[in-house]
Amino acid sequence: MHPAPEQTEPPILVLATSSCAYIAADAVGQAHLEHPANTYVMRVPAPVVFPDSFYYDCFEKGFAGIIVMSCGHECPYPGAFERLTKRIDRVKMGLKERGLDPARLRLTAVCTVCTKAYLKEINAMDALVRAAASAAAVTADGGDAT
Amino acid sequence: MAEPTHEPQAKADEAQAEADETQAKPNEAQAEADEPRVGVYVCYCGGNISDVVDVEAVAAEAAKLPGVVTAKTNMFMCSDPGQQVIADDIAELGVNRVVVASCAPSLHQTTFQGVLERSGLNPYLYENANIREQVSWTHHDRAEATKKASALVSAAVAKASRLEPLEPVEIPAAPAVAVVGGGVAGLRAATDLAKAGLAVTLIEKELTLGGTVARLDNLFPYSEPAEDVLCRLCEEALADPRITVHTGTVVESVEGYVGAFTLHLEQQARGRTVEATPDADSREITSLDWRCEAFRGYGPGEAFADEPVAADDAARALSVPVGAIVAATGFDLYVPPEGEYGYGRLPQVITLLDFIEWLSKQPEGSVPTFNGQPVRAVGFIHCVGSRQVEGVHEPGPNGRINEHCSRVCCTATLHCACDLRDKFPDVVAYEFYQDIRAYGRGHEEHYDRASLANVIFLQYDGAQPPKVVAGEGDDHPVLVSCLDGLTWGEEVEVGVDLLVLAVGMVAADVGNLATSLKLPVSADGFLQEVHPKLRPVEQAVNGVLLAGTCQAPKDVTESCASASAAAAKAYGLLASGEVKLDPYVAHVDPELCEGHAACVEECPVDRAIAMEDYPDGSRKAMVNPAICTGCGACVAVCPTQAIDLSGWTLEAYEAMVDALLLSHSEVSAL
Repeated sequence: MHPAPEQTEPPILVLATSSCAYIAADAVGQAHLEHPANTYVMRVPAPVVFPDSFYYDCFEKGFAGIIVMSCGHECPYPGAFERLTKRIDRVKMGLKERGLDPARLRLTAVCTVCTKAYLKEINAMDALVRAAASAAAVTADGGDAT
Repeated sequence: MAEPTHEPQAKADEAQAEADETQAKPNEAQAEADEPRVGVYVCYCGGNISDVVDVEAVAAEAAKLPGVVTAKTNMFMCSDPGQQVIADDIAELGVNRVVVASCAPSLHQTTFQGVLERSGLNPYLYENANIREQVSWTHHDRAEATKKASALVSAAVAKASRLEPLEPVEIPAAPAVAVVGGGVAGLRAATDLAKAGLAVTLIEKELTLGGTVARLDNLFPYSEPAEDVLCRLCEEALADPRITVHTGTVVESVEGYVGAFTLHLEQQARGRTVEATPDADSREITSLDWRCEAFRGYGPGEAFADEPVAADDAARALSVPVGAIVAATGFDLYVPPEGEYGYGRLPQVITLLDFIEWLSKQPEGSVPTFNGQPVRAVGFIHCVGSRQVEGVHEPGPNGRINEHCSRVCCTATLHCACDLRDKFPDVVAYEFYQDIRAYGRGHEEHYDRASLANVIFLQYDGAQPPKVVAGEGDDHPVLVSCLDGLTWGEEVEVGVDLLVLAVGMVAADVGNLATSLKLPVSADGFLQEVHPKLRPVEQAVNGVLLAGTCQAPKDVTESCASASAAAAKAYGLLASGEVKLDPYVAHVDPELCEGHAACVEECPVDRAIAMEDYPDGSRKAMVNPAICTGCGACVAVCPTQAIDLSGWTLEAYEAMVDALLLSHSEVSAL
């Protein structure tokens, strides 16, 4: 029906809070601001719902990067953001132990109108996972990844 | 042209009526019992989606997904014909879960949930795939966009297949509201609530009503006397039999939840109470004496501080049951530390509020005096205690600087400078400012007015605030200097007889009201709303609403507007006698719960989860849905996965991840 994409791009999962980042993602769309299509937004009330294992599983299953876009200190759920930051710190250490770059998991605060911040985070993570994918491809081909 | 639109609507109405009578309960019961039968509906959005996304291909891919019984496209799913397609499929194909791939859920989620409800399905069996804002409007490559749209639809189907019927949490609600704070916002909220028919308890910690506005002379932008505004509000509140007023009263603690709060109050000696009675004629507030005690027309509440306590006066404790709470606790004025701009060291350095009182007492037609000395020049410094700069300003007692703009002080200062020049045209006025933020209707006019009245403006940089020294041997007792931005950084020094600091608004200590309910505060210390645009007067704690300057710096107009909004929200919450809350709260599967209590420890909300004794001797977690905020912190820590969020289960998220990755990896599928 139409030409298919030639190869799969490294996918990025965006966990966006209903109160803040998901609305920013919509605002990006309303402004018709293009960004990489390998990003998938999942709407969540508060990302603190996800246990450590959720992140490890996501990477193991195939996501190349995860951006947790929270409301930051303006989180409408009292105490949730503080718990989330501790969890993400812990998971980042776990990723390192597993030989994964902790930078592939990013916690950030994105408000409802933070379209620039949203795009900056998406583009930065996209650049990171593409560089990592290229390096991995070179290594797989027997080249020097460095 | 109207007929084609109306006819389907009429049919839909008929179908709705029939569904209400005959189909609602059978269908809903069926949805619970049957395997998921998902209907997927992909919207063209008149080209907004289909210009980029191949919606027919997306529907074709969706039709292959497990559990999907039908996948269709429509030019406008939100139209009456589009909605009818869903209703028909529910009736004819037994569709019991619905996915609409269209615009953002904020636009039409309730529209499509309404279709389910009218068709006898539980409205929470609906899921959205946002393929407009997040696909067709952000990606221009047709193949990429189509692939992504299919992935989002597959994730939505994965979630929809795991949705269970939910019911709103319904809680009986007391038709009564506590308004904490008897300033202008509290009075406005109280009278609005009483007019709506709710019983109101108005709690004021001072001995008089009126708050800070009682210390003002006249109010910008239109210069009406503050006394007139307050008198009118107080008289309305005191004359309404549905309002009980407690002055000299503070909140000691709060317990309960939306619909059933209990406030425990402490009323000091000399505090006054007027009980609400159904018979307005028997109300004592018609006594002028009492009214004067409750509100002394014009003047600070501290006026009572030195009066002796009557023999029959004694502190007492009160308990007030209410369904909702309006916080109208106001603000504090920034108090400059000793030495800031000479404050506390030079007697001629005063705050704007002091200046207002001083000016109001100066007889017209004479030379104004301060401490017996003639006043020929007055300086005003803006942004004192506001817009503070790290490294330039010392942190306050709370350990932080005030980075926020207090918003109202620019216009208030301009207004005062104009009043000064109007009353004493021979007195020179200088304004030292960073930026003039005269933002509201009628505010900028005061800037124009001040310019026409020859007020002299000097602009300073926030990182280099003006310097103030004593004018020893000078014509004026105070010398103010700054690097003036209007003259390209020239150092300018002026002598003044009175220096007025436009002190900002800072967050007041809300005391036990905030600590009892753990009310969220923003970075600047003010009480924080759930969302500045979508839920601007609601707190994250259900049933707590925000009025006036407890939320942020506001002028009197804005305070009254937010107070009326809070009153309307409280009325909307309590009017039906019961509160309906979103069902997206935690729930426990007792079969899986082994009583580890990790959820209780992790939960950030007191009493939202508790361990309960079971007849078999075990202890298991139990959620109070009225208190649970639905953050899900408990879900992440349960070692047996016995607790989950209704409507947002961890299993559903995991299935969505799998679906996204599967679709993403299928390069050649489309």
